[in-house]
Amino acid sequence: MEGLRFSPASIPTKLGVPHASANPNQASPLYDIYLDHAAATPLRPQVRKAMAEAEEQAGANPSGVHRRGREARRTLERARGRMGELLGVSSRCIYFVRGGTEANNLAVLGRADRVRTGGSPPLMVSTPVEHSSVRGAVERVARDHGSEASLPVQPSGQVEASALRELLDRGPALVSIQRVNHETGSVLSVPRVVRACREREIPLHSDMVQAVGRIALGDPDLLPDLVSFSAHKLGGPRSMGALVVKDRDLLVPRLFGGGQEGGLRPGTEDAIGAAGFAAALELALNDLPEEASRLGALRQELEEGLREKIPELVVHGSEGPRAPHILNVGVPGLSPDLLPRALDLEGIAASAGSACRSGSTTMSPVLAGFYGAERAASVAPLRLSLGWTTAPEDIQRAMEIIPDVVERVRSAMRTTNKPHRP
Amino acid sequence: MTDKRILVAMSGGVDSSVTAALLKEAGYQVIGATMKTFCYQGTPSHSRTCCGLDGIMDARQVAERLEIPHYVFDVEEEFTRDVIDDFVEEYGRGRTPNPCVQCNSRTKFGDLLRRGRALGCDGIATGHYVRSGPGPRGEASLFRGRDRDKDQAYFLWGLSPELLPMLHFPLGGLTKSQVRERARKMGLVTADKPESQEICFVPTGDYRDLLKKRLQPRHPALEPGRIVDMEGTEVGQHDGYAGFTVGQRKGLGGGFSEPHYVIEIRPERREVVVGPREALESTAIEVNDLNWLHGPPVPDTEVQIQVRHRAAPVAARIGETDDGVLTLELARPQEAVTPGQSCAVFDDDRLLGGGRILRALRRSPVDAVGLS
Repeated sequence: MEGLRFSPASIPTKLGVPHASANPNQASPLYDIYLDHAAATPLRPQVRKAMAEAEEQAGANPSGVHRRGREARRTLERARGRMGELLGVSSRCIYFVRGGTEANNLAVLGRADRVRTGGSPPLMVSTPVEHSSVRGAVERVARDHGSEASLPVQPSGQVEASALRELLDRGPALVSIQRVNHETGSVLSVPRVVRACREREIPLHSDMVQAVGRIALGDPDLLPDLVSFSAHKLGGPRSMGALVVKDRDLLVPRLFGGGQEGGLRPGTEDAIGAAGFAAALELALNDLPEEASRLGALRQELEEGLREKIPELVVHGSEGPRAPHILNVGVPGLSPDLLPRALDLEGIAASAGSACRSGSTTMSPVLAGFYGAERAASVAPLRLSLGWTTAPEDIQRAMEIIPDVVERVRSAMRTTNKPHRP
Repeated sequence: MTDKRILVAMSGGVDSSVTAALLKEAGYQVIGATMKTFCYQGTPSHSRTCCGLDGIMDARQVAERLEIPHYVFDVEEEFTRDVIDDFVEEYGRGRTPNPCVQCNSRTKFGDLLRRGRALGCDGIATGHYVRSGPGPRGEASLFRGRDRDKDQAYFLWGLSPELLPMLHFPLGGLTKSQVRERARKMGLVTADKPESQEICFVPTGDYRDLLKKRLQPRHPALEPGRIVDMEGTEVGQHDGYAGFTVGQRKGLGGGFSEPHYVIEIRPERREVVVGPREALESTAIEVNDLNWLHGPPVPDTEVQIQVRHRAAPVAARIGETDDGVLTLELARPQEAVTPGQSCAVFDDDRLLGGGRILRALRRSPVDAVGLS
């Protein structure tokens, strides 16, 4: 990603670059149209400024016993406090980690270890559409010393109430369900699961990496026991995440060292990153209603424009509520690895699915989870995700380019299908 | 500067790196593509194989250096089906396959063309030491590379004719040392990378490990059997005919004054037939799985054929084609014509096509062996 440069100044000027001149051989390609915000959204200028200010005060180790250490500590705790206010939880519940993957791993593995040390083999319940950092951790628990069970979700994002009841009857160590799906943008019915889990006192984790700043998180009292966040999906710094832990006793640590972050995430704290995270969260939540409706309108325009020009287009996640920033479309019969690359050469940055499995041509487990393996195997997904740099002109141009590229890819696959078999 | 966009297959080796660099220099819009052909888990990290994970990293690094986009495409499924399965089955049948030919014919070029078109490319290029250019009637043709030591036209007889106008082979007019020199001048990380010799999906160099994994248990190709002489007398035991190749010199221990060679493999009896060197000579070859780049040559055409990589071309005459099997009459007897290997057919330097060797025909006295 080093070749990508985003600066506030580049946003207006790039509109003047005609896409036809996009030359892939140019030394530093500035994508004309960046539609991969769900993978990473550029650092927001205000966040950069907040981090630069924090850097002046927080150059020392926050554990230092000296004045500079106390200043760094103050920066860190101020960020934690601000995040608590913004999320409506006590700042003591906020544990900084090094990103969304780490937050998800800590929730799943830390919970499993806690239950196992209590003497029983942990049962982990999660949906089939979770991010790979949840799925991978759950599979690891099942392989090592516990078991897993899948909570089915419908394409609308609803969980099946009867399946949920049956699973909760088995007394799982943890239920994990994401708030907004990272590939389709589908909003999952987490509040219903919160209530069901509370009735039975079963701990609930929710991956809200794609949700925060994109949809309203609702009543803070209805936040699950464990919630994962990531800064860089909000225009904050990379390698900065947080796990909200309402009850510290739910978890045991997975890493060991100096006891920082209440012992849950040892290692020198990143006070500057935390300041950036808090600034990004504040901006995102302040902008939320307007930005959500702006992106929602752009997304709808893009969706309608593409449907019109590509009649067989499938829109994933349209069966239920969706976060406004993701449009996941599928074109039947296309190989999933070609379309994003062909678009790249025409100046559109998009991905086939989650960036965490890019380069892979295997079927999306997320689509298989929502729609079944057959449909997931027959349709190549394309995730177009919008964010704070997305301008109406980007959408207009994407609507012109994408159908042409889809047609080109399709005709290439049709005309030269295994020409010769000696 | 040109608007032409070319997709270059980049393995991470020096040849394909220089290919991309030369095309970039010539002003093309170059796109690099690396095919991920098989699962690399278990591949030793020091593997010299060009297409290993290291290869992907090297290709990416070269692409970055050249400031061209680079994509990795996963063709594992197709490659396994079309190349590895075929390789295993051929050994199971007592034949000696050419996996690189299969890959070029079935996976690599067809796939490149498809992906190239999808990416809006006007042409595709590889680092093969062959030349492309007009034939006698101006038709797009393939010719042997100028560096006769490196010439790779032999591996390309199975290409689809429709590909020919799309192909670019910038190394066809260069020698290997010139290519290395260019790579060094351009500062490419791959300049002094060793040649890849092994079969890319057999990083250990021992294909029998792969056969053991992929053939069904107790497959006859891996079971012990008899080594017999040309009269059918047992002269020894072997531990699986898949370990033998026709033409291979076979040490049989004491008691035999002359060296023995594998003359034939009889899978149905799990027998390996050995004999003296002159028994390897054949006067005609039957070839099937035919592919012609410019239509089938008419019978009695004088051509040159090549029956293994780096073998000298041999004068031959096109015979009849019967039920997809072409007979080629050889001007002089040839040793070690190996079933399963490729037979590439040339008109001087120009590649006409070829096929897979079905069997070698040996006029007396070897006919008595009953070549099956």
